[in-house]
Amino acid sequence: MDEWKPNPVIKPHKKRSWYLAWKYKLMNQRALRKLCQTGAVLFLLVTVIVNIKLILDTRRAAYAEEEESAQDYDDEMLNVEVPRHPVNSKKVLDVEVYSSRSKVYVAVDGTTVLEDEAREQGRGIHVIVLNQATGHVMAKRVFDTYSPHEDEAMVLFLNMVARGRILIFTVKDEGSFHLKDTAKNVLKSLGSQVAPFLSWRDMWTFVGKKGGEVYGEKHAKSPALSTWGDPVLLKTEVHLTSVEDAECHWPDTELNRRRKRFCSKVEGYGSVCSCKDPTPIEFNPDPLKENKVFNVPVAVIAGNRPNYLYRMLRSLLSAQGVNPQMITVFIDGYYEEPMDVVELFGLSGIQHTPISIKNARVSQHYKASLTATFNLFPDAKFAVVLEEDLDISVDFFSFLSQSIHLLEEDESLYCISAWNDQGYEHTAEDPSLLYRVETMPGLGWVLRKNLYKDELEPKWPTPEKLWDWDMWMRMPEQRKGRECIIPDISRSYHFGIVGLNMNGYFHEAYFKKHKFNTVPNVQLKNVESLRKDAYETEILRLLGEAEVLDHSKNPCEDSFVPDTEGRVYVMFIRMEQEADFTTWTQLAKCLRIWDLDVRGNHKGLWRLFRKKNHFLVVGVPASPYSSKKPSSVTPIYMEPPAKEEGAVAVPAVAAAEQT
Amino acid sequence: MQKINKNVVLALLSLTSLVFLLFQLYYYRFYLSQKNGAVFSKVRGSQSGQDSTRWHVVRKFLGLISSHNIPVYLVDPLILGLVDKDIEQIRSSPDGPSPECKYFCAPRDFTTFALLDKTWKHEVGLFRTAEKMGFQWLKIINKDPRLDGMDDLSGIEIPLHYIFKLASHAIHLVVFYERSGNYLWHGPLRLKQHTDRKFVPFRKLHFGRYPGAYEKPELLHVSIDDLKVQIPKNPSSFLEEMSHSRFLECRYKEARAFFQLYPDDSSLDAVEFRKKAKSLLHLAALTLNNLGVKFWLSSGTCLGWYRQCNVIPHSKDVDLGVFIRDYKADIIPAFQKAGLPLKHKFGKVDDSLELSFQGEDDVKLDIFFFYEEDDHMWNGGTQAKSGKKFKYLFPKFTLCWTEFVELKVHVPCETLQYVEANYGPDWKVPVKTWDWKSSPSNVQYNGVWPVDEWDDVIQIY
Repeated sequence: MDEWKPNPVIKPHKKRSWYLAWKYKLMNQRALRKLCQTGAVLFLLVTVIVNIKLILDTRRAAYAEEEESAQDYDDEMLNVEVPRHPVNSKKVLDVEVYSSRSKVYVAVDGTTVLEDEAREQGRGIHVIVLNQATGHVMAKRVFDTYSPHEDEAMVLFLNMVARGRILIFTVKDEGSFHLKDTAKNVLKSLGSQVAPFLSWRDMWTFVGKKGGEVYGEKHAKSPALSTWGDPVLLKTEVHLTSVEDAECHWPDTELNRRRKRFCSKVEGYGSVCSCKDPTPIEFNPDPLKENKVFNVPVAVIAGNRPNYLYRMLRSLLSAQGVNPQMITVFIDGYYEEPMDVVELFGLSGIQHTPISIKNARVSQHYKASLTATFNLFPDAKFAVVLEEDLDISVDFFSFLSQSIHLLEEDESLYCISAWNDQGYEHTAEDPSLLYRVETMPGLGWVLRKNLYKDELEPKWPTPEKLWDWDMWMRMPEQRKGRECIIPDISRSYHFGIVGLNMNGYFHEAYFKKHKFNTVPNVQLKNVESLRKDAYETEILRLLGEAEVLDHSKNPCEDSFVPDTEGRVYVMFIRMEQEADFTTWTQLAKCLRIWDLDVRGNHKGLWRLFRKKNHFLVVGVPASPYSSKKPSSVTPIYMEPPAKEEGAVAVPAVAAAEQT
Repeated sequence: MQKINKNVVLALLSLTSLVFLLFQLYYYRFYLSQKNGAVFSKVRGSQSGQDSTRWHVVRKFLGLISSHNIPVYLVDPLILGLVDKDIEQIRSSPDGPSPECKYFCAPRDFTTFALLDKTWKHEVGLFRTAEKMGFQWLKIINKDPRLDGMDDLSGIEIPLHYIFKLASHAIHLVVFYERSGNYLWHGPLRLKQHTDRKFVPFRKLHFGRYPGAYEKPELLHVSIDDLKVQIPKNPSSFLEEMSHSRFLECRYKEARAFFQLYPDDSSLDAVEFRKKAKSLLHLAALTLNNLGVKFWLSSGTCLGWYRQCNVIPHSKDVDLGVFIRDYKADIIPAFQKAGLPLKHKFGKVDDSLELSFQGEDDVKLDIFFFYEEDDHMWNGGTQAKSGKKFKYLFPKFTLCWTEFVELKVHVPCETLQYVEANYGPDWKVPVKTWDWKSSPSNVQYNGVWPVDEWDDVIQIY
């Protein structure tokens, strides 16, 4: 290198004279010149070699770097991307729809999207909604229009579907018996020619765009009352529109992005996907002052009833003092649509592989959900447990915030529940009143962590035991004499009609008329008097002030209770021992309250309202409060109707119904 | 003429070589600066540029997260090391302006911050803002270990690490999760297949090689280099904790396979024993932690953790290991105070020490003291009636954190070797009859205690 320094060969022409002189000098010094030349060549060679080596080195280093960084930090599981279905660039969909007595199916581009050939199931009109841009199935419903009121549900559903969606109809077995004119007109307005004249056991298929063209319709008339129409198969083509046309143009916000994702996937949620004036998906209810349950996790137990879940989450997120970050929705099974609903509201959802069957499946799902909740929120001392078919009262969290310290401090408490089993429209009155009861109502309740971790979790019924979790929790081995706190007016409302232990009739009889609090910020009365000993004092005070009703009258008659307001009345019924509920059950029946098993009792005492008067029922002599009975009064005895021998099993079966 | 030509050739050659030389220099420098920005910091001028880049990136990042109300705290070991030297001064003047950029300009590739998961809402807005500010970011997600024990839950992947890159500096944001056992956990950093492996030199990250377990830190608001940040109140103890933070997840999958083969005992007795063992372990952990004595799950309790992630219901006692160098005379009174009377004491501090405490209802707590040799560790056993001594040999091991029955506890990191030494290659098969003198595969006969020492080395209460 030094050798080269004095060598300014770079720009020779500018310093010509110096260069010439130097050249001359060099020529005279042959040896030096030779040396320089060799040196130069050598140097050049070295440079080239070094250069090449450097390039190779850096290459290798770069590779090594790459490998190194990969080595330790590679995910062991090779997350092989599942090859996605190629984007459907086709503009036309082939649709096949089949309708017959025992089988229906719908195939879109050769893929079966509906197939139902189960016996004695799926009767009525099957409806499928397709996205007009992608051809994806957005909703699948079946309306048993052979039965009453189902046509109303169908009209409701069809009205909720956005304009432009593709609707596919097919009838299985029978779909016309209770298909009223309103529904027929709706189908007619969709372009159906046949629907208005659809009759007994006709087969019918129809494909059309809501508010647009008809792609095809086929119909087979039933020749006689006793036979069905011939099976019909409709094959047609549907022209897809562009994605742009199929979407609404909401302002680009985080919320609307969630909305868009949701609305392009599923249908049947009405105004949440309305282009013009979509209903909000964020509610921002007023916060609560001194909210003691702000950091209590909320577990929502869900199955595959996404419309229920949607309604439930709306009410939950609208409740004052809700903390969306603490909510986790546990879905029993790998259902997409409930997860879509959860994501729409920006909540977190966990799917749970179904274990076992029926009641045991629900029970295992509960266990997994509760365990996961306490794992995810290790700081939590409690968890709020909700189900997907509940409406949540606006003051649900306010109610819990005011009462939760009792659950922490009073060892004799098992839970706080938002549900009063006996709180019907005609038997509940006071939103600020709380009770202690020996039964566990469930339906929106608070569980203490140590109760779960130390007692319930290790003993939880195993999958092979087909038990109901709530029945199990009500068993004396678990409850150990502890009680739950409930409000007089429930803070939850059970709206589920479809369910494991539920049907329309049952719901109408036992749940529809349940009272539900809608008043915000109710200040609870005498919360401290709900503690174990204080409550006894309170009961004795109440019994002391209560007027004894006329026991010669029929307690089922309305006139049994005088036409007053705000008074306290007491009646005594016969109850030979702790488990003798003969008279109570008859009384509950005629009062039209929960009579399928015994609920809402506290040491042989029931508290409810009749005609806006507080109404106490004491079981004599089993109840310790029997001493309050004036000696002149004979406890009322009501005999069960004689022919109900066969119905002994009813309470046992129905007891599970409340899940 | 020929000679002149020769010279021209020579000149041309040297020109080429010079060009090569320049290219070489440039390339080398380019390569180095890409690999490690700090190498050329000695070159004047470039230093302040590089340094202030770091400071600026940190400042921008802090601005970003404070605009979204996300409370992060500094856990960068390099900076905390520097801060620790001046901690008194920094504590006393939390808002004072600083004359020079002392900490955030120090040469390094990353600045590491920690974020408590529950303190933020996972807003997507943060990343949009970050992009607008010029940050490139990378999110590393993986399975939620808090739900790992339950095979039938799914759909849950949680963010474990974020990396925000701007210019030549990157911010590593480690997400800490609260777990059962009142501690914080951060996940390992594992790249999925499609991730850009050159996004940053991942190997140089201070967090992420292994998962880690930490106590919940007390935080301190300080202003260093004119930037307001939160730091652990005691940086040196945080750094100490960091060096021993490696965490092992229980082997839930294997445990499930085990229970497939050998269904769990869910009898009332088993439930009761597990409950008692759990509360005894909690009490023991509390007592030893208060004394500052490091301990780990040993023998049957360790096997239970490793094999089935639970207490073995037929094991009848709880076993802990303690290094003899951590022995304190206070241990016995402390346990007695906690309601656990001494049941027996075998051996002495110099040799084969073993303590047993009586827990509730016949559940016994055994503490074995481990002695370290050049190539192995051992603990001792004593047969009370004969004064015979036994020695249990283990290969050398280090300690890792794990979670067991809602408790953050130590286990040997090299658990398999430890368990195999103790229980042999068939440790996967449950054995109900166990003789501590002959069953273990690492037991050695170790002579007999001299009779005159018996009073001292065999104490039974």
